[in-house]
Formats: sequence, C-alpha cells, structure tokens
Amino acid sequence: MRDDPTVIALVTRAAGSDPTAWDEIVERYAPLVWSICTRFQLSNHDREDVGQNVWLLLVEQLGKLREPAALPGWLATTTHRECLRVVTSARKSERLGTELDDALQFVDNTMIDEEILMAERNAALRAAFAELPPKCQRLLSMLTSDPPSSYAEISATLQIPVGSIGPQRARCLERLRKSSALAGLGETDVDWAEGDTHA
Amino acid sequence: MPDAQDRDDEQLLTALGEAMRARREVPEWFVETGKNAYAWHNIDAELAQLTYDSLGDPLGDSLGYSLGDSLSDRERAAAVRSEAASIRALTFTSAGLSIELEVVLGQIIPPRAGTIEVHTTAGVASSPVDEIGCFAVTPIPASPFRLRCRTEDGADVLTGWITL
Repeated sequence: MRDDPTVIALVTRAAGSDPTAWDEIVERYAPLVWSICTRFQLSNHDREDVGQNVWLLLVEQLGKLREPAALPGWLATTTHRECLRVVTSARKSERLGTELDDALQFVDNTMIDEEILMAERNAALRAAFAELPPKCQRLLSMLTSDPPSSYAEISATLQIPVGSIGPQRARCLERLRKSSALAGLGETDVDWAEGDTHA
Repeated sequence: MPDAQDRDDEQLLTALGEAMRARREVPEWFVETGKNAYAWHNIDAELAQLTYDSLGDPLGDSLGYSLGDSLSDRERAAAVRSEAASIRALTFTSAGLSIELEVVLGQIIPPRAGTIEVHTTAGVASSPVDEIGCFAVTPIPASPFRLRCRTEDGADVLTGWITL
C-alpha cells in the first residue's frame, strides 16, 4: 500500500510544476488532515491555521521527499504536530484545562497508523469511484447517501426498474473492485470490513 | 440467502459510503486553503534556514520537517513549545545574509539597506530596510507568515514560515 504508484506519480508531477497534480494531492488528503483536526476538537479558525501550515510545509518538502509513497504518513505526522502546537499555545493562554489533557492522551502511534491506512483506503476508493461510468456513479451515490435512498426512489430518479437495481448494483461494485485505482492497495482479496486488515 | 459475494458487496458498499462521507465532511474553504499553498512552489529566492529560536529548539517550529520524523521528535517539539516565552527572537541564515527577527523589530546582518516583504497567504506587505539593516513588522501577522528580503546589492532571501 505504501508503494501506491498513483501517489508517487502525483508527488513527482507536483514537485515539477504541475498545479493539477497538487490540487489532486490536496483533494485526496484534505480529509486526512481534517479528520485529525476533528480528533483534536479544533475550532474552524485553528483548523485553518493547521491546514495552512501543513500544506505550506509540504510545498517546501515536495522536491525533497525521499519516499514520495510515504506522503500520507508525512501528512499525518505533520498534522498531529501542528494540532499539538495549536492546543499547546491554547494551554499557554489558559483557555483550556482538562479538556486539553484529554485530547493529548489520544495521541499514539497506533491511532496515527490507523488514520493513515483509512486515508489511503478512502482515497483509493474515491479514485476508483471517479473512474466508473456515470450510470454507476449515480446508482452507487444514491445507495451510499445518508440516509440511503430506497429502491423505489432510485427507480424513480434513475428511471430503471426496481428489479434491475440489484443486478446493476452488483455489476457496478464489480467494476469498482477491478478498477486500476484500487490496484494500488496491492491486495487481491482486501477485506473491506471496517478496521479489519485480514480476510 | 446472502452468500459470500453478497457479503463482499455489502462491505465494499459500506467502505465506499465511508470514503464519500469523509470527503463530504471537509468544507470547501479548507480544500481551497490547501490548493492555494502551491503558489509558494518554486519561488525564486534563496531559502534562509532558521538557525536560532529563543523558544529553544532551532528546528522544531517552522522548518525542517522531513519524512520519517518519529514520535519522539513530536514530543520534543511539544515540550519546547510549552515553555513560556513572552518575546520571541528568531534568526534566519543564508550563505551571504542573515535576518534577525524579534517580535516587532528585525535587522539584516551584515547591515545594509533594502526592502522587507511580509508574505501571508492573504497577501504581501512591503516596508523599507534602513541603512543599518533595521526593519519593523507591523502589525504582527496573526496567521503564519514569511519574510522576503531584497537588498540594494541584489540579495534575495526568503525565510521559512513563521508562527508567533
């Protein structure tokens, strides 16, 4: 998973002068940076501060990354450090007391590793989804919306018979599974069950 | 009856739903902030390294992160920042010129005239550097900023990002 060729290609292109590659990196990993900020319970103002610093630091590191494939790990570590900086300066001004101690004790390596793993998996899934034909995208969007649409709603919106939703769903998921974007995960039999790493 | 394929489909759909939800949660302004940072790529100035920080750790704050940083580095950086520091002094050094910065006043070493630019992601503010190399940064930016110093003899030096 750490040798995802997509990530290596994006970093290489962004380190040259390709702003579209940079935008794609940000799109892929902004959810990772955001979710770490959420765990630290940062305000929007602090999130902006953290996000800005993390991406500015990455811009400067682009040409120096010795292992571009380790980008998600670098982002997670740097985001944690920036979150710590923000909560530490909040402690200095005594705006926070025990709340902060609660936040700090969450920081451990296992959690960071899980966040990285989840971010890579999510990024690969979204990339695979983007490769699907529009028909599949619409169907899977409705099936994964919150709350999920009923078959009756899907039938009405997409104008397909209720009876064909099941078979189309299976075909679309099969295409998703075989997508080249998911090949980067490097496993033929990835178990998609939440938090599970073996089949 | 659900067979193995159905179960796999169900899990894949759940994982996809989770991936889409994680993306939907991120506001557009947060993504835009990240994209805008690319404006700093390949800036045509020599990068000055942070060589002194009154806060204690010369490499712990705005510069020098690299791949493979360990947790102990992070803990060390956090420990450094927990010290109280009312006045912050920083020194950035490049081959031919260094910039010493205190909270409001800074000085170019060796002394010479030029201009100092305070860059934030919101824009650039420029002010003069007098003949003994002194300059003032007012008001102090609330967001991360960096200094770009251009001297009359042609030096062009850029600091890393500073958060006070």
